[in-house]
Amino acid sequence: MSLNKLVKKSFSDGSFTNLSTISTKTLIQMNDVWASYDAKNYCLKEIKLSIDRGINYAIVGQSGSGKSTLLKIINGMMIPSKGQIRVDYQTPNMNNKQFKHAMSKIGYIPQSLGLVKNISVIENVLIGALPRIGKINSFLKKFPENEICEAEKLIKLVGLEGKSERKTYMLSGGEKRRVAIARALMQKPILLLADEIVSELDQVTAREIMELIADAQRRLNLTAVMVHHDMKLALEYANRVAVIKEGQKILEIGVEGDKIVDFQSGNMTQQEIMELYNRNEP
Amino acid sequence: MNPKNNLIIALVCAGVIAMSYHIDANPAEFVKGVPNLSIVLKEMTEVEPDLFGIAFWSMLETIEMAFIGTVVGIVIALPLSMLAARNLNSKFIYVPLRGILAAARTFPSILWAILFVIMVGLGPFAGILAIIMYTVGFIAKLQYESIEAVDSDPVEAVRSIGVSKSQLIRHVIIPESAPHLLSQILYMFDYNVRQTSILGLVGAGGIGFYIINYIKFFEYGKAAVFMLVVLITVLIIDFVSVKIRDKYIVKAQKGMEVKV
Repeated sequence: MSLNKLVKKSFSDGSFTNLSTISTKTLIQMNDVWASYDAKNYCLKEIKLSIDRGINYAIVGQSGSGKSTLLKIINGMMIPSKGQIRVDYQTPNMNNKQFKHAMSKIGYIPQSLGLVKNISVIENVLIGALPRIGKINSFLKKFPENEICEAEKLIKLVGLEGKSERKTYMLSGGEKRRVAIARALMQKPILLLADEIVSELDQVTAREIMELIADAQRRLNLTAVMVHHDMKLALEYANRVAVIKEGQKILEIGVEGDKIVDFQSGNMTQQEIMELYNRNEP
Repeated sequence: MNPKNNLIIALVCAGVIAMSYHIDANPAEFVKGVPNLSIVLKEMTEVEPDLFGIAFWSMLETIEMAFIGTVVGIVIALPLSMLAARNLNSKFIYVPLRGILAAARTFPSILWAILFVIMVGLGPFAGILAIIMYTVGFIAKLQYESIEAVDSDPVEAVRSIGVSKSQLIRHVIIPESAPHLLSQILYMFDYNVRQTSILGLVGAGGIGFYIINYIKFFEYGKAAVFMLVVLITVLIIDFVSVKIRDKYIVKAQKGMEVKV
């Protein structure tokens, strides 16, 4: 049974209320994508994947396996050397003016979080609204009242109420991640890309952050593509998990009923997958 | 220490000796001149307290010149530094601009002062123009280097949102390079006060005018009053700069709370 069928089934029996936002339409499609930074060594090879709207898709792999590059290709910050990619019916390319509008709807949280450390929490969150603000107003840092209200709401949503005027460098690691999530949500995104957002956190904080994203997904009909280091965490929160090794997708697994199923080759036994699950790292 | 390092040190020492010989810089002359210094110092102790009033007002004029020159120079330098940053512009913009800024920096402010005295006549205005020129060249260079050193992570993250270049500059580049700017402004003002103190040598206003005139007429006691006022002012500015740095820059860099 495919995940889509599983979703339809879940609709009919109401077993997965949190999956109510899933649609059958594909948001991201990659066909035979190759990528390289130096035109010699490919960091991604023959990547084929299809990500449906509304799902939480996890990419797992060791350091240097090409996971972060995959995210950069999805949001157009890197152009693949070969192959085709479509994101919401468009070819991602940050230098293309047409794609700039699509970029404003893709929330990207890099591993470093990319926060501006010398400004306040709310100023960082409001950066997510910049594509909707006129040049003069944004130069004067004059945001409309409704955008400020929205930013305050998101700050509350991510659990930073009362800290909106605090300078970002004063926050803890977990709080900074919350700011980065709020900034991404401020974009009113259709897609959220997060690169190892919980990898340096303790287990409790990591789960809080993952719950926060899962909650935002449900509320905002959001598709999330998240890069993880921890296999267990990925399997716990994602609808599907792709494992990348040395630039190649070696495995794609997802939930089917109460089982984890190999969607890549179909050759893995349940036991092999469970062994992988218990290994924590891919 | 390895032989290679010893060789380098020996070569540098040999270079200093050879060049001193070439330009006739003989340390024996310094020893011979010490008695002359004692004469000057003795005369300098005979200060004329009546002159402190004039010295104070001319120092105020000097500070005003330095302040105006620093502020106007920074206002001109900031937009230029944005245009001269390699990470924000094409080389067709930043290469010629960097050339112009390097030219502004090449001449010390006293040479600019001579030029402006010829242009606008004697007085503080020529001195202010000289300070502006040097400040523009210097602050623009420090700032474009700070901009180029801004952490690329927030730049990349915010660029990925699809913002315009002006938005990126306003919301990421300026806030990220601002702590450096405050430090640079303090340094520049401090430096400009010292520079303005000597611009009077070429008739471009300020306290230097009195110092050079009294020295010319061998009235070291009178010159000493003015030099003392310069010294005290510079010490006060230095003290205030350290306080401001501690409060706004050092704490900010250490991640401590800054009370504004």
